[in-house]
Formats: sequence, C-alpha cells, structure tokens
Amino acid sequence: MFFKRPQHDSTPVVTGGQVTTVAARPQPLEAAELRRVVNPGTLGFKTTDELHPITGLIGQDRALKAIQFGANIKSHDFNIFVLGPPASGKTTAVKAHLGPKAAEAPTPTDWAYVYNFDDPNRPRALQLPHGRARMLAKGMVAALDELRSVLPALFESEDYQVRRRAIDEQFRSGQEEAFEGLNAKAQSQNIAILRTPTGFTMAPMHEGKVVKPEVFNALPEGMRKDVEAKIEGLQKELETILERMPKADKKRRGQLSELNEEVSRRAVQEALNDLIASFSDVPQALDFLRAAGFDLIRNVGLFLMTGEEENAIVKQPVDTARDARFRRYMVNVMVASGDGTSAGAPVVEEINPTYGNIIGRVEHIAQMGTLVTDFLLIKPGALHRANGGYLLLDARKLLLSPFAWEALKRAIKARSIRIEQPTEMSGLISTQSLDPEPIPLDVRVVLLGDRELYYLLSAYDPDFSSLFKVQADFDDTIARSSENDQAYARVIASIVKEHGLKPVDAGGVARVIDEGARLADDREKLSIEIGRIADIVREADYWSDQAKRKITTRADVARAIEEQIQRADRLRDRAQETIARGVVLVDTEGAQVGQINGLSVLQLGSFAFARPSRITARVRLGSGRVTDIEREAKLGGPLHSKGVMILWGFLAGRYALDVPLAMAATLVFEQSYGGVEGDSASSAELYALLSALSEIPIKQSLAVTGSVNQRGEVQAIGGVNEKIEGFFDVCRARGLNEQQGVLIPKSNVQHLMLREDVVEAVRHSQFAIYPVGTIDEGIEILTGVKAGERDSGARFAAGTINRLVEDKLKSFAERARAFAKSAGNGSVIPKDEP
Amino acid sequence: MIAHVAETGEDRGRVVLQFTSAHPSPIALEAAVRIARAFGSEIETLFVEDEQLYDCAAYGFVREVSLTGRQRRVMSAAGMKRDLHLAAQGARRQIEALARRAEVPLRSRVVRDEPLRALSVACAERGPWNVVALAEPFTGNGMLLRQLLVEISGTTGLVMVGPKAQRVAGPPVAVVEDTQRLPDMLRTAERLAALDGTQIVLLLVASDEERLHAMDGEARLVVEGREDVRIKAAAATHGAAAVIAEALRRLQGGFVICQFGGLLVPDEGDLRPLAAVLECPLLVVR
Repeated sequence: MFFKRPQHDSTPVVTGGQVTTVAARPQPLEAAELRRVVNPGTLGFKTTDELHPITGLIGQDRALKAIQFGANIKSHDFNIFVLGPPASGKTTAVKAHLGPKAAEAPTPTDWAYVYNFDDPNRPRALQLPHGRARMLAKGMVAALDELRSVLPALFESEDYQVRRRAIDEQFRSGQEEAFEGLNAKAQSQNIAILRTPTGFTMAPMHEGKVVKPEVFNALPEGMRKDVEAKIEGLQKELETILERMPKADKKRRGQLSELNEEVSRRAVQEALNDLIASFSDVPQALDFLRAAGFDLIRNVGLFLMTGEEENAIVKQPVDTARDARFRRYMVNVMVASGDGTSAGAPVVEEINPTYGNIIGRVEHIAQMGTLVTDFLLIKPGALHRANGGYLLLDARKLLLSPFAWEALKRAIKARSIRIEQPTEMSGLISTQSLDPEPIPLDVRVVLLGDRELYYLLSAYDPDFSSLFKVQADFDDTIARSSENDQAYARVIASIVKEHGLKPVDAGGVARVIDEGARLADDREKLSIEIGRIADIVREADYWSDQAKRKITTRADVARAIEEQIQRADRLRDRAQETIARGVVLVDTEGAQVGQINGLSVLQLGSFAFARPSRITARVRLGSGRVTDIEREAKLGGPLHSKGVMILWGFLAGRYALDVPLAMAATLVFEQSYGGVEGDSASSAELYALLSALSEIPIKQSLAVTGSVNQRGEVQAIGGVNEKIEGFFDVCRARGLNEQQGVLIPKSNVQHLMLREDVVEAVRHSQFAIYPVGTIDEGIEILTGVKAGERDSGARFAAGTINRLVEDKLKSFAERARAFAKSAGNGSVIPKDEP
Repeated sequence: MIAHVAETGEDRGRVVLQFTSAHPSPIALEAAVRIARAFGSEIETLFVEDEQLYDCAAYGFVREVSLTGRQRRVMSAAGMKRDLHLAAQGARRQIEALARRAEVPLRSRVVRDEPLRALSVACAERGPWNVVALAEPFTGNGMLLRQLLVEISGTTGLVMVGPKAQRVAGPPVAVVEDTQRLPDMLRTAERLAALDGTQIVLLLVASDEERLHAMDGEARLVVEGREDVRIKAAAATHGAAAVIAEALRRLQGGFVICQFGGLLVPDEGDLRPLAAVLECPLLVVR
C-alpha cells in the first residue's frame, strides 16, 4: 500500500469498519523551519583577521559575577565551585578573570622551613617578607662557605695548637705523674704493677720479676704481712688515681670545648653578622640565625673534618649546599616570590591534585638500606604556592585522588597547611618522621567540575556546602542573536590567534556558528563548549592546508565536521546496515496495526546518533494492566517505565471513566537487547496501543518521537535532530518515496538544526517533519483517520479512532463482567497473569 | 739496616703482631696488615700470656683493680686463664677480619711467657726479615723501645701507634735524617704508597739549617724530579722531637718511616711528646 503525502491525503483508511477520514491536520514544517543558518554577508567582515579576539567568555554574566563575588569576599569559607560542561572554557575564563585581580593584590610573604635546634623532628616554619627567603638561603650558604675556609685555618693556627697542647699536656702530665709516682713508689717497695685484660694487679717483685708464690710463702710471716699491707695501700692509691681519671678527662674536655668555642665564636659571629643585620626586621629569622650560630659554635668539629670523609661515596669536593654535614643550617625555601618586586597574588592551577601535590610532602632518601628524611626534604604543595592567592583544582581529579579531598577540606577549615604522611593520617602506620610546623593558610580555592559532581557533593558531603559557598554556574549555551553571532565570531578569532591558525572567512565562521547551534541542540542557542568549537576550527585549518588554501573557508569547516562524524560513526553505519539488510526489522512503507517506528538515540562519546526501533502493542481482555516488557525484562529504565504508566493514566482518564479498564496490553521495543531509558517513546507507544485497540493500521513510512502526559499532550524530548536524521538515513537508503517523515513534539520545533541533506529532502517534498501538539493530532497523521471529540452526549463520533478505542474498551469491560458472572467468583475483572 | 719483610713462602720472616693483655689499637692492627700487604708478607699473631699474671693470681691476698678503679676482685689462676683466653679470642677475631679483607695470610698462636722473651723467640724462629708490630698503643716509653730493638735481633723494624692514632691512609712520610739511608727508606715508602697510589713525602730533618740545605740537595739528586715524591724540610733546632712531631701532624701522613737513634726517635730518649701527637703508625727502622 502506498501513501501520498499527508497534506494531500484525504483518502479514508478502511479497515473493515466505517471510519471517518481526516479533513485538516497539522501541516509539515517548511524547509526554512528546519535549520537556522547564518548569512555570512550579515557578519560584516571578510575574515577573522579583521576581528578583535575576545578574552574571557561570552554570555556567562551570572557565573562571572559569582566568581567576582567569591574572589572579593574576605572569608575563608567562601570558596568557589565553578560548574559547567567540560571544555566550556571555564578554566580559561576563571584565570582570565582572576589574573588581573591577583596582579593588583599584595604579594604574599615567603615561607621557608628551617631546622629546629630545640626539637629536630619539628622543623620550624619561617615567614619572611616576600623575596627574602632566597636571600636568607643564599646568605646561609655563603656564611657556611666562609666558615669552611676560616675555621680549619683557625684551628690549624699555631695559637690554637699551642693552647690545645697545653690543655692536653696538663691532663696527661697529671695522669702520668700520678701513675709514674705510684709506679716509682711500688718499685721502691719491690711491688710490681701489671696490666690484666680487665684491669691492674700488683704482686711482690724481686729484681724486676714477680716473686713466685712458693718463694713468697717461704718468707717469714712478718715480712709477708708487711708486703700484703704495702700492696693493700698501693691498690687503694691506684683506685684513687683511676677514679680521678674520668673527672680529669671531663675537665680536659670542658677546657677544650671552651677553647674551641672561644676560637669559633668570633668566626661564626663574623660570618653571620651581615645576615643578622639584613634580617634585623624579621624576628623569626633572627631567632633562627642566633640558634644556628650557637649550634655552629658547639659543633665546630663539622668544619674540621674534610668533606670527603663525610661524603665518601662522592669522592670529590662537595659544595656547601650539598654537603651533608651542613644540612641543618640550610634554608628550605617553600614559597618565594622571586626578587622581591611586587608580583601580586598567585593564581595556581594544580593539574594533578594528588594529596602530596596539594598539601606537600616529606620525601625520603634511601641511605644504607633505610629511608631517612630531614627538613630539607619537605616539598611544597599547591596550597603553599597558592597561599595568599587562588588555587584552581579539577574537582573530579581531586575526588579521585586518595586522601586529597579530605586533606584539602581540613586545610581550609583549619586555615593552615599541615604536612602529614597519608599513612599517618589514616592511622595505618605510625613511623617516626617529621612533623613540620603548620603554615597559616589564606587561599581561595576554585574547584572546577560538572553539575552532577556539584549536586552530588552538595547532597552527600556536609562540609562541601559550608566550605564552597559560591556557586559559579556556567551555561552550556547562549541565546542566539546577531550580537552573539558577532561575539561568537570573535571567539573564533581568538581561537585562531591562540593556536596560530589561518584566518577563517565569513562563510567558515557562519558554518561554525551553525554547528554551534547544532551542538546546543537548539537553533535558538549557541553552544559555548569552546573546546569543541576550537577542535572544529583547528581541524578545518588542517583541511584548508590540505587544499592549499590561505584562508579557512566554509568548505573546510564542513569537511572538518564531516570527518569528525565519519571517524566516529562506525557503529551508526553498522546499525543502518542491519536495518538495510533486514536483520533489524523496520518498515518504512505500508501500514500495520499496533506497530510503529520509534526513535532512540545512542550517545557514544561526543557523537550521538539515532536508530529507528519497531515498537509493537498487543491488547486483550485483562485486569487492567499495561505490561512494559522492557521493564519486566529489567531492560527498561525508570523514566521509560514512568512513560508507560502515564499511558495507562491517559487511557483510563479518556476512555474508561465509568467502566473498568478490563484490558491487558503488552508493549515492547522489538529487537532491543540493551537497556531502554527515557520517555521519548511514550507517545509512540500510545499510538501503537491506540492502533491495537482501534485496529486501525499505522503508516510505517512515519516514525515518531515525543513523550506524552496523562492529558494526551505531546511533550518535548531531547536529541530531536539525531532522531529525525536517523530515520531519514534509513529511508534514504531504501529510497525516499515522498511519504516518509517523522512526527516530533511541536515544542521541539525550536530545537531543529537538521543536517543540510535532510533540509534539502524536505525542500523537495521527499521527506516531511510533522510538529504534533496532541496525541489526537498525531494519530490522525499516522492513520489518516480522525481522532474524534466527544459530542454533547459525551460520545465520540462514530468511525473515529477514539470511538473505536472506547468501544473496544467497553466491550472488554462487558466481557469481563460476563466472565466473572459465569465464573461465579463475584469479581468483575478476572485476575491478570503476572 | 734496611727495612724489609720476607715475602710469604720465603720462610725467612713475616710481620709478627704482638698482642698483650691490654686492648689492641684498631689502627695498630690495620698498620700491621698494610705492612704485610706492602711487602707481600704474612702475619703471625703472637698473643703473649704474661706468665707473671698467673703468679699474681696465685697470691690469695692480691686483688685486681678494674680500669675505672671502682671495683676490686679476687684473682684466681682459672679466672686469669679465662680472661686471657677471651682477650686472645677477641684479638684474633679482629685481626682475622682485617686480614681476610686484605687477603693477607694469617697465622695465630698463643704463648705463655714473658712478653719480650716471647717476641725474641718468635723472631729467632724465622728470620731475619721480620717486622714486629705492637698491638698495644705505645705511650712513649723509650726504654721499652730500646729493649725491643736491641734484644730482638731477628727484626728489621718495629711498627707501633700512639694513643691518638686515627688513620693509616695518606702519603707515607719518610723522615730522613741521614741521606745515606734515603734510598732504602724511599723503597719502603714506595711499597706503602703503592697500596693507595699516593705520593711520598720525604721529610728531611736536621739540627741546623746548613745541614738541612745540604741534605735537600742530596735528596733531590736521589729523587731526580719524580712527581710522586715531595720533599719537605724541618729544622729541629729546638726541642727536636716535638718540632718534628708537629710537622708530621701537619703533613697528615698515613705512615711514618724513621730511623732509631735519630732526632725523632732517640735512643733512650723520652718519646712521650711524639707518641702524644702521632696520628698515624710509625715504622721505626733499626
């Protein structure tokens, strides 16, 4: 069976009964209504070279105001969450906005970590006026360099050596004199003093040799007693001498220390004097320098050993800054603002927001098989670098990074940066490490993410709303107007400039603007996904190169768009092929009862395409239930199920106000093996159901999209362009027959930005797009039969779809009642099967 | 006399390392190993259990006073034997570790005797190309040194360290007081320098400047412009030993080679100033 184009079709559809043909129904859209195109001539330039590139964003006043507010307000918890689609230029816009403001702000102070001479495990955080941290670090190295050459010379000097020898000699002579005295006394009494492995012993001696015990025992008792007494006395003297030795040695060491300090003090003071004078206005730095000075004096021995001894592995002279002996006197500059000239506040973007990269870390080095660390291995994080300014973070990456989000919140709340090992933070392992003093934090954090993330955080993290009080919501699109078309052209000019591309002519710009509307899925809007627009312009530049053109033209832009689609449309081709080969059953001509062409959209990355699907409906006597097979098979999403339930509400409300809805219906997306979600097929399902009930066939040359409410009004859906194009491609593959078309919700007309080939087909009456406001309008187009309205007797006119449906439902109700009576169970409606 | 040690296998000498009941100096042990390496010799350790200690232990009234002077204990022959055995074991373990690392052949033995006699007997057994090394730090008893060199005939030299010894690495310093002996001392220094590829320092020592000038000329003729030999001079005009000792300290040598009976190590002189400042081993050549 062939159908003529609907607007000329007045032939009634005969299905065995009396029906009423349609007299007037919605007209198909004109070609001009299917795509809004920019006339290059109205843009007012020849190429983008004539345009001033635009900085920042267009049409984002609300978001920019929010950023401005967040940047200005002086409160630590008014951090900003910038929400918007990816590649919409959020980061660029935020930077462009914050940059000038930060440049005018005061430069924050420098921070450094230095050795804590009182508590080595807790490095001290030193706050210094901006530009002074590096001065201090260099100054310390210079001072140590000086001491490295001065101190050894001082300690080698004759003056020092003489005084040191005097102290040693004093000690040694005291000891030796005591020992020699005791030895002489013992010898004079014929007593030998001998060394044992663990001490000293004494024995009677004769002619320099110890007397044999048997000889000694042969001596008279008086003589023996006398010797014993002498030995006893000498042993006591020896004990006294030995006990005195540690004290004497301690005294010697004390005298040596005093001498060393005296010699080194002057040199150390001399070396540090300039630094102390330079930092007289920074009490914290003065404290450090004084503590370092005391420590240098106490540990002057460090300078008296050679670097080679201490760094034997290196085997070559080591410069002071790398010499392990002097590490504790170094300054670990965490944040420094260069030479001290005013640089403004920092705007830092951390592209890899791991815990360590945000909070900082204490690194370790392997030494002799163990991991060791010190304050010089404390590394700054983004918070340190951004302190006093702004920190930009990608919210998704931040949340995916273990510990990072919690650590960031803790830092903002505490207003300080405390570097902890993540393992310690989680309480898993507690090893002795460094506990650097926290650094006060004054930073405005700007998180960038999509809306979903923002709302998830708002819902599930109570801290989020209290710490990120400013919401900067970037629109996906801007309204289309001649002014915004001009602004869009300037954005393209800025892309050209930024990437060093060839200029784009007005035709090319117009084509990009058209694509912007297509990306927005709305001909009254323009997408501001700058990233995607930039991709198109850059790719067009490539094709322009290939064509050896000096200017990028409309053809190059069109080629770029086509090539992008072609690279991504393998699956679309495969889907089309399965339909063309009859693997997937989709009719594009003829008419069928209870069968309709629905349209579904598949999104694969940034590429979306539609695929027609056959939807069928079957009805019979039942307990009043519409079975959504997709839902029963757990392939239907909640929105799809909702759409199906609405159908039930529509049927009941329109046709069964005073009788039971004794019907059972099944609805299914044929040959659908994946999930089905969304309610855009609910109008198609309703049409199929009405066709099944009325037994009036539906034209298979038409496809339908649109959701429906309980009042039978057809509502807008998404992806209207892709859906029309999907069906168009199937029809074109089989040959356009002037009967084919798509029914879309009337409210979707404003979104139409169809491909040029579709527009051309419509222009030549080969294809039609029908805007539909109600189910009645739609069913009339689909069947060619009048839908019908209730007359004064509350009855639908005979021969109309509605009358046929109502009659069918009444007959179901009567048969149900009869069935119940015959069954004798008193139930009006038989129980339906599950 | 020249300083020389017989090579391993010659059976005519070795480094005889003497341990006593006192704690050995680690630097002294290293010095013994270096001498053995330098001459391709072997080491024989001689732990001498002074028999007089057993006599002491046999006295019932004699006590041992600890090194700190705070304890006193009754002595016994068994206790003494145990203590000496442990001391010998510890000493052997120390030298074994060093010898193994340096791949120097090592033999050990323990004798119960009077220390000087034990050394003399050991050197007489295999000689005459022995060098005696003392494990116990030398405190400067000149008489002891004289006894060692006079009474032990089968040795060409004596290696010892002071209480402040702290290194064996560094250029060998040959203290030349008689240019006649320079070639022999230089050969010994060359062997030691070859261990680390270091320079050699010839420290010329004389009691007056004139003599020093003369020695300098003679030394340069012997050295003939060798780049691996530096010549330094020290005029020991006053307090000879102390001045030379200070010069040695500044040279930061790894070994000092000197003659017995000269200005640095006088016969029967007081060697305490030298022992007090010596930071490296001293090889005293007869």
